[in-house]
Parts: sequence; structure tokens; C-alpha cells
Amino acid sequence: MPGLALLTAPIALFAAEGEGGGGLQFPPVENLVIWPDWFLADTPFAFNKIAFMSLVAFVVPVILFLIAGRKAKAVPTGLQNVMESSLDFIEVQVIKPAIGPDGMRYLPMLMSMFFFIWIGNLFEIIPTAHMPANARMANPLMLAIVAWVMFIGVGVKHHGLGYFKEALFPPGVPKALYLLVTPIELLSTFIIRPFSLAVRLFANMLAGHILLVTFSVLCITLWGFQILNIVNLLSFPMLVAFTGFEFMVAFLQAFIFSLLTAVYIGGALHPAH
Amino acid sequence: MLLAALNLLASEGGEKAVVNPVVPDSIGEIFWGTVFFFLLWIMMRYVCLPPLLKVRDDRKNQAQADLEAAAAAEAQAEQVRRDYEATLSEARQQATQTVDEVRASADAERGKQVLAVETEIAEQRQAAMVELDQARSTALGALKGDVTDLAAAAASKVVQSPVDPAAVRTAVDEYVNRSGGSK
Amino acid sequence: MSALSNAAAQVIAQAGETGAVDPAAAKATAGAGSAGFAYGLAAIGPGIGIGYLVGQAVQAMARQPESAGQVQTTMFLGIAFTEALALIGFVVFILLKFV
Repeated sequence: MPGLALLTAPIALFAAEGEGGGGLQFPPVENLVIWPDWFLADTPFAFNKIAFMSLVAFVVPVILFLIAGRKAKAVPTGLQNVMESSLDFIEVQVIKPAIGPDGMRYLPMLMSMFFFIWIGNLFEIIPTAHMPANARMANPLMLAIVAWVMFIGVGVKHHGLGYFKEALFPPGVPKALYLLVTPIELLSTFIIRPFSLAVRLFANMLAGHILLVTFSVLCITLWGFQILNIVNLLSFPMLVAFTGFEFMVAFLQAFIFSLLTAVYIGGALHPAH
Repeated sequence: MLLAALNLLASEGGEKAVVNPVVPDSIGEIFWGTVFFFLLWIMMRYVCLPPLLKVRDDRKNQAQADLEAAAAAEAQAEQVRRDYEATLSEARQQATQTVDEVRASADAERGKQVLAVETEIAEQRQAAMVELDQARSTALGALKGDVTDLAAAAASKVVQSPVDPAAVRTAVDEYVNRSGGSK
Repeated sequence: MSALSNAAAQVIAQAGETGAVDPAAAKATAGAGSAGFAYGLAAIGPGIGIGYLVGQAVQAMARQPESAGQVQTTMFLGIAFTEALALIGFVVFILLKFV
């Protein structure tokens, strides 16, 4: 691959020059995702900005639901209408297609997952916060483990230890193929599933965060007079456009996380399909 | 070869703490995230969702009840309409019957009166006929006497001798009866 | 890989000329170069896959608008699974670039 040498040469040049403080200084990644502890520093209970976002993501849905539920009337108005439509959304879009009509028992878990992730994600575009809580691995990993424990627990509860037999030795496969199928099923069902759940959410939010940071840094260069500013002028509309895009991604990732959790639970509940 | 070079270089200059954004390195974040997520779950399960679900179920039940009530009301309306129609047809039938009865009685009355009038007319005509017959027979008797006398006088004049009045009367009567029969 | 090791060797050679080896700079250079290629290569497959998937979903929705909801849910599921590959590529990018 001799052509690659030509491609990498400018990169090396740029990296070498970047040390000298040219026009464009991209902040180091620890400045993007690591936040100082507010209190209880240097203990396992260190409380920082991410923990505060988790707190907000817990408090806001509870308050909204309490206000909506306190004056609940048969004819919904205002906030109650909004909260009920979110309930209907989870029921119709997540539970009905993924689990079926017997999945209403998992409504509280899926609702809390949806709101916890969504509000955590929304901090990505809320001014003064500008950091999605899920761009740290902590919350996605925790939620993925919850989903993992949940679907294995549902499978064991409804099918006993036969759930593992069904999952690892799917019926209708020739005996000899189990040598091939069982390791793949073990890997994909019990290891890759939680990993991909966590990484999907985390990487989406981190990518969006870095994207917004990149365009913001490019916008800062507009204050100086450079020949590059002719191109850089585009960075402000791009920043606005990507903020809107990330607003959509924040919702979509919350939806997909709850939907996939529901799909895994449904698969454990009805292993036939 | 590259990896070997990198490992060599990394082992040489490892004074700076490497930040890995992928690995969850802050226990505090995991701890607080777990705490708040499970708190949210518990609140959702026991405090937040039940009133809304209850209201929704109530609404569904009420809608069901309203639908049933509407169906019942519709059935009742149908019943009322059927009763009304039944009453209406009954009244119409009764009216028709009354009209028929009245018409029949009127017809009978009229027939009776007509019959009575006709009977009276017939009686009167009968009486008139009797009277007429009497008058005619009286007139015929008087006429017959006159004709007999006249015929006897004329016959005695013709034959120059007295004629038996009895024979004359017989002949006249016979003649009158013969011509009177075809009056 | 030869190109990247060439880049690293170039940095080492430059440092050798000035007399001080900067291993962090060498590592950052090689990491930055391979990170871009890692993410670029990882984005090809999911890009094609998501395009095909959404196109087919739109076709299905246009043919049967009454089943649009179900198609949409399934489409998001498929996008989530397909996108995972690109996201793992992005994680590799982060690991190579910043670690």
C-alpha cells in the first residue's frame, strides 16, 4: 500500500505542527468527557456532573408523573395528556410489537429506561450542560446489565433452566451442528447482546458530543481573520443542523434501547419465534 | 512491527496518565446512576404509573358502559317506535271499522226507509186502483142500464113489438163484457 | 500497515535527528493515522446496509401504508443492529486516537 504513505504524510505534518499552537486547537479528550467531582471526591460515591444528570433524569419524570397523576381526570388535559401519550407510545410502539399483550408488566421498567436515557441524552443539547450523561460508559453499562439480568431472569422464571437449553441448543438443528451453533449462540445471546446495547448508546452519544464539540471549536476560529474562514463559515449552520439532528438522535437512542430490551425480554418469554 | 515499535515507545514514556473514554473509570458515576435508575423504576412502579393506568382503565370501562347504554337506549327507542306504530295501526283499523259500521247501519236505515216508503206507495196505489175499479164498475153498471134501456127501446121501435127486456139486457151485457174486456 | 509504520518511523527518525525520542508523539501519529482508516472502513458496510434497509422499508410502507407502524418498528430494529458495526468502528477510532 504505497498510496497510504502519501495520505498519512500530511497527518504526521499536522500532528507535528499542532503542538506549536496554530489556529486550531482541538481540546484533549479528557476535557470533553471527564468532569471534576463536586463532593465526596476520591470515594466510590464521588458526585460529579454526570451523577447530577442522573439525579435530574430521576427527578424530572417523577415530578411530571406526580403532577399528571395527582389530578388525573377521565378527560385528560394538559400535562396528563402528554404523559398519557408517552405511556401509549411505550405501549403501542415498544411493548405490543416486541413482547405482545402480556408484556404490560414490564411497562414500569421500560418507561423508566426510556425516560432515564432520554433525559440523560437531552443534556447533550441543553445549553450550560452540553454533555450527554450517556456519553460516559457508566449509565449505558448499568442499563445494559439491567436489561441482561432482566431477560435472563424472565427466561429462567418462565421456562426454568430449560431456557438455557432452548437458547443454547435451538431445536430443529442437526446434532452435529451444535458444535458450531452453541458457541455462536452463547456468544451472541449472553455476551454480545449487553455489550452491543451499551456500546450502541454510549458510542452514539459520544460521537454526537464530539461532533458538536468539533463544530463549536471550528466556530471559535471565526473570531480571527484567516483564509480558512471562507470554509469555516459553514461550521455555524452545520452546528445548528447537528444540534437538531442530535435532538432526534437523543430520542431515537432512548427508543431503540427500550425497544431492544423489550425484544430481548419477548424472546426470552416466547422462545418459539 | 508497528505494534512492537508502539509498545517499545509506550513503555519508554508512560509518565502521563492515559485517559480512556470507553472504559467506565469512575465508580461514582456508576453508583449514582444505578441508585437513581432503580429509584426511578421503583417510583414508576408504585407511585407514578398506577393513577394514570387506573384513569385509563376507568376511561376504557366507562366508554364500554356508555356504548352499552347507547345500545340499550337505541333498543328502547326502537321498542317505542314499534309501540307507536302498533297503536297507530290499531287506531287506523278501529277508525276503518267504525266507518264501515256506520256505513252499514246507514245503508240499512236507508234501505228500511226506502222499503217503508215503497210499501206505502204500493198501498196507496192499491187503494187508488181499488177505488178506480169501483168507479169504473159503477160507471159501467150505469152505462149498461142506460144502454139496455136504449137498446130495448130501439129494438121495440124496429120490430114494432115489445121486446123482452131480459133478453136485451143479456145481449148488452155480453157485448159490453166482450168489448170491455179489451178496454 | 507498512504506511503507518513508515509514519511512525518517520517521527522517530525526525526525533533521532534532533536527539530526543518523543514516544508519545510517535504513538499519537500512528494512532491518528490508523484511527481514521479504522473508522472509514467500518463506516462502509453499515452505510450500504442502512441505505438498503431504509430503502426497502420505504418501499414496503409505500406498498402497504396500513402496515407502516410495524414496518417502522422493524426498520428501527434493523438500523440499530446494522449501526452497531459502525459504532464499534467508532469506539475503535476513539481507542486508537486518544488512548
